[in-house]
Amino acid sequence: MIPALEAAFGFIALAGAVSAALIRDSYGKLISLGILVAGTLPFIVDRGYIDVAVTAALIAPIATIFVLMAVRREEA
Amino acid sequence: MIALYIVAAIAVFAAIRAIVEKNTGRKLPYANVLSFAVSGALVLLLDHPLSLVAAAAYFVGSTLESNAIASTYSGGVKR
Amino acid sequence: MLDEILHILAAAIISWILFVTVDIFFRLPETGGVSGASAIARDIEAAGGALSGGTMMGNIVCSPDASAGTLLAACGVYVAGIPGGLAAALMVFIGNRICYDPGYAGTTGAILATFVVYAFTLIGFSATDFIAGMVIAILTIQGLSHAHASRLLARLWRVRQ
Repeated sequence: MIPALEAAFGFIALAGAVSAALIRDSYGKLISLGILVAGTLPFIVDRGYIDVAVTAALIAPIATIFVLMAVRREEA
Repeated sequence: MIALYIVAAIAVFAAIRAIVEKNTGRKLPYANVLSFAVSGALVLLLDHPLSLVAAAAYFVGSTLESNAIASTYSGGVKR
Repeated sequence: MLDEILHILAAAIISWILFVTVDIFFRLPETGGVSGASAIARDIEAAGGALSGGTMMGNIVCSPDASAGTLLAACGVYVAGIPGGLAAALMVFIGNRICYDPGYAGTTGAILATFVVYAFTLIGFSATDFIAGMVIAILTIQGLSHAHASRLLARLWRVRQ
């Protein structure tokens, strides 16, 4: 990957991680984690690890759904 | 190729707007643009039939995640 | 380099028309569907948008619709021609059912887009132009101004009714 593209996706992942730490609102944090994963997937695919990319792309949303279920059980 | 640069630029723009926006209901469309852009970028980076599967899996996964967040944010399914 | 940019802009306009038409035809701006979509519509309306336009934008977020179908079909045609596009349509169909969406907007959009993109590749376009074009099109609807986009979609929805 050319450096400009690496910088772009790296920036997305970094911004997602930093905002996940700093944002107070719970939904904002979850969305920021999604942005983090979005920034890392192009690096995985660029190296040719497509099966790893598919696995990560399927596990991350399911993890978010589990977090939402845990939060809802706490609120109820 | 220029398509990949355009898609990456849109991804960065959408990510910044998603992070800066305060309201959850308005964050989600920006995050949706980011998923479109990343799905396109996955296929443009690696020209292989399986990268289509990766792009589709990522897109469906991120849509399911946004759906779950929006659903919980709205208070869940009314019983 | 300039004609590639012009091709991408033309592809953006074509994809915009394609997915907005299919989505409005399948009644995406109709209220009363997925609860997440109505929550997003309410927040967009609170910021100065129109409710039906916001509902369509919410539905685009919550389930693969014609916009997703067009993007994945363009990706499919890029990697594997028409069979690739139809494989993408199948994956969009499965994605719809996984997201509890009983509709056919995504699958129809994907199948139509497969043939449209393939036809354009025969006259000098490249499938990558449509991938970039579709991302630009979705940016104009969901990524620039929610208020203006939802009002435009609401006006188009009134035409359909």
